[in-house]
Amino acid sequence: METKKIMWMLKKDLMVLWRHKPRLLSLLLFPIIMITLFGYGMGGELSNIPIVVVDQSNGAVTDATLNAIKNMDLYDVKDIISNPDEAKQMVMDGQVKAAIILPTNYDNLTDPQAKNVLIYVDSSDQMASTAVVPATQALFNQISNQIGIQKLEMMNAQTNLIQVQSANVASSAQSNQGVDFNNIINSINFQIDKLYGDVKYIDFLVPAVLAMTVMFSCMFGMGESIAGERERGELARLFMTPTNVSTVVGGKIISKLVIETGRALILIIAAILLFGIVIKGSMLLTVLLLVLGALCFVGFGIMISARVGTQEDYMQMVMPFAMPMMFVSGVFYPIETMPWIFQKIAYLVPLTYVNDAMRTVMLKGGGIGDVWIDILVLIGFTALFFGLGVTKFNRDI
Amino acid sequence: MKYAIETFDLTKKYKDFLAVDALNMKIEDKSVFGFLGPNGAGKTTTIKMLTCLIQPTAGTGKVAGYDIIKDPNAVRQKIGMVPQLVSLYGDLTVRENAELCADYYGLPRDLKEERIVELMELVDIKYAENKLVKQLSGGQKQKVSIVASLVHQPDILFLDEPTIGLDPTTKRILWDLIEELNSKGHTIVLCSHDMYEVELLCENVGIINTGTLAAFDTPQGLKDTIMEEERSQKNTRITEIMSKIRTESGMDEKALGELDNAIIDIEKEEGDFRELSVMINNLDQDLLEKISDIPLVFNVHQHKSGRLTMDISCTECAINDVLNFIIENGGNITSLSTKDPSLEDVFMKVTAKKQAEGD
Repeated sequence: METKKIMWMLKKDLMVLWRHKPRLLSLLLFPIIMITLFGYGMGGELSNIPIVVVDQSNGAVTDATLNAIKNMDLYDVKDIISNPDEAKQMVMDGQVKAAIILPTNYDNLTDPQAKNVLIYVDSSDQMASTAVVPATQALFNQISNQIGIQKLEMMNAQTNLIQVQSANVASSAQSNQGVDFNNIINSINFQIDKLYGDVKYIDFLVPAVLAMTVMFSCMFGMGESIAGERERGELARLFMTPTNVSTVVGGKIISKLVIETGRALILIIAAILLFGIVIKGSMLLTVLLLVLGALCFVGFGIMISARVGTQEDYMQMVMPFAMPMMFVSGVFYPIETMPWIFQKIAYLVPLTYVNDAMRTVMLKGGGIGDVWIDILVLIGFTALFFGLGVTKFNRDI
Repeated sequence: MKYAIETFDLTKKYKDFLAVDALNMKIEDKSVFGFLGPNGAGKTTTIKMLTCLIQPTAGTGKVAGYDIIKDPNAVRQKIGMVPQLVSLYGDLTVRENAELCADYYGLPRDLKEERIVELMELVDIKYAENKLVKQLSGGQKQKVSIVASLVHQPDILFLDEPTIGLDPTTKRILWDLIEELNSKGHTIVLCSHDMYEVELLCENVGIINTGTLAAFDTPQGLKDTIMEEERSQKNTRITEIMSKIRTESGMDEKALGELDNAIIDIEKEEGDFRELSVMINNLDQDLLEKISDIPLVFNVHQHKSGRLTMDISCTECAINDVLNFIIENGGNITSLSTKDPSLEDVFMKVTAKKQAEGD
C-alpha cells in the first residue's frame, strides 16, 4: 500500500509537469541554458580576434611565422601590410584589436642583433588583450627557440642542409628533415592548445556546473514540492488519510530523484553535444554521482521545508545556503585559490564534494576508488539531512 | 457504540494562546452535530485535533472508538474530512483526485471504481469527472471534496463550513446530501456560521467560545434555555426591586401586597411576546384601531410599506385569535410571518455572556 502511495506522488508530479508545458520546457531547457551560458560566457575560448601583421622582410622564417599566425584560431588576420604606423593607426581606429610588427631583420638568421617583435594591443578591450599578449608571446618564444636551434645547426652542419630545410618548408613536406620548420607550427599549436585548448576552462567548469544545476533545481524544487503543497492545502489531503510522514517524504524523494536524474542526463548530453565534453571516467559513475548529489540536496530541501509553512519562507531560508555554496565550493575557481576562510567553509558544504568527485571522474578518469571519500561524505550529509528532515517534519496542518 | 466522538480535557495551546481549553464533549453516533462558535473560538482547532491533523497539547479524544493520540491512523481510516480550504490537487482531474484518495485509503481496485462512480453521481459531479479541479467553481470543488472524503465510506464525516460562499441552490443540494448521508448511517459533524443551516440539519448543537464549550443541547433545548434564563433574570430583578422597596420605602403591608398583585397581573398580561407581522391589502384606519384594541395585542406599528407589526401574547391560540379577528372584520391578509427566538439569538447570548465573563 505504501508503494502505491509513493507511486502516486511520482505519478502526480509527472502529470502536473506534463500539464504545465512551460514548466516542463523550462525544466528541460534550464540545464541546457545553464551549460550554454557558463560554457560560452565563462568557459569558452576566445577566437577570431581581428589583427593585422606588419611584414617588413622576406624569407622562410617570415613565411612560416605568417602561416603560424594564420593557422591560429585566436587570430583573424585582417591584413598583412608593411607600414608599422599604418598598423598602429588601425588598432587605434578599432579596426583590429592588435598589430604584430615583425622587424626588418626578422628573416636574417645571421644577424647577431636581437629581433624585436612589437605588438600594439587595444588594451581597452581587456578580454582580447589578455588573450592576445600571452598567446603571441608563446608563439614567438617558440619561433625564437627554433631559430636558436637552426643557428646551432648552421654552425655544425653542411650548408646544403639549410637549403633542404628551406625547400621542405616551401613544400610543406612531412619528412623528418622538415621537422624544424614544421615543428615551429606544430609546436606553436601545441603551446597554444595547452593554454586555451587542452586546459580549457570549460572542461574545468562543466562537471561543477552539472553539480550546481542539480543542486539548484533540487533545493529550489523542494520548496514547491513540500512547502508549496503545504501552503496550498494539498499536503493536508494526504495527511487526512492513514499515511505516515516517512511515506510522504519517501514519495517526494523518489519523485524528485526521477525528475532530477532525467535532467542530469539531459545536462550531460547537452554538455557532450554542445561542448564536445569527453567523460574520461565511467559515464555510469558520473550519473550516479549526480544522483547522489541530487539525493543530498533533496535531503537538504526536506530538512528546511520540514518546519516552514510557505514557499516564500522556504526560499528565504534556502537562499543564504545556496548562493554562498555556489561560490565557495570551487565551481568557478579552484578552492586552493580562494582566501583561507573560504577554503575552510568549502569543506563544510556538500557541493564541494560533488564537484571534486565529478571532476575526478570526468577530467581525470578516476574510478570509485578515487572518489570514495567524497561519496562517504555525501552519504553522511544525506543521512544527516534526512534524519533531521523526517524527525523535525511538522505534520500539523 | 453510543458516542461517535468523546473528548477528555482536550487542550491545544499555541505558545501563550490557549485555543482549546480542556474540552469535554460527547457526540452521539449516527447523529448530525452542529459545532458553532465565533471566529477564533477554537472550532477548527478542535476539528483538526479530532481528525488527527494536529496533535493536542494535553488531554485526548476518542473518535469512532479509537484514541486520537494512540491510534491516529485507525481514526483517519474511520473519518472523512471536508475542510474549509479545499484540499485537492488543482492540477489533477476530479476522477484522479478521487482515485488518489481511494488509493491512499487502500481501497481494492474493483471497489474503488464502483465507489467513485457512485459518489460522483450522488453529489452530481460525474459530468465534470475529467475536468481539472482548478477549473471548477467553488461549489463543484466542495462536491469533489466530499467525494474524496467519502470514498472510503467513513463512519464520521467532518464538514468545516462546507457551504461558505456557495449560492443558495448549491447550498440546498449540499444540505440534502448531508441529510441523505446521515440517513445512511454516517455521523456528521458540521462546523458552520450559518445558523439556519445548523437549525435545519442538526439534532444537537455545541457552542464553543474562547476554547470552552459554552452550550450543548438540541437547537430547541438551547432556545428554551435562553428564554428560561431571560425569564429567570427578569424575576430576579423584580424580586430585588421589591425587596428594596420593602426595606427602604416605608410602605405599609397592604400597599406592598397591592403592588405585588399588580406586578403579577402585568406579568400575566405581558407574559412573553412574539412578533407578528401581517400585510393587509385593504387596511383602513378603522380596522387598524380595532386591531390595536384587541386585548392580546400590543405595540401595533404600521410601516411605510403598509405592513403591520405587533407584539402578541404567547398564549396557545393568540395568533389564531388575532388572524380570525382581522378576517372577520373584512381584512384581506396577503402575507404574514412571526419572529421566534432563533438559534442566532442563542448564539449571540451565549457568546456575549462568555465575553462578559471574560472581561
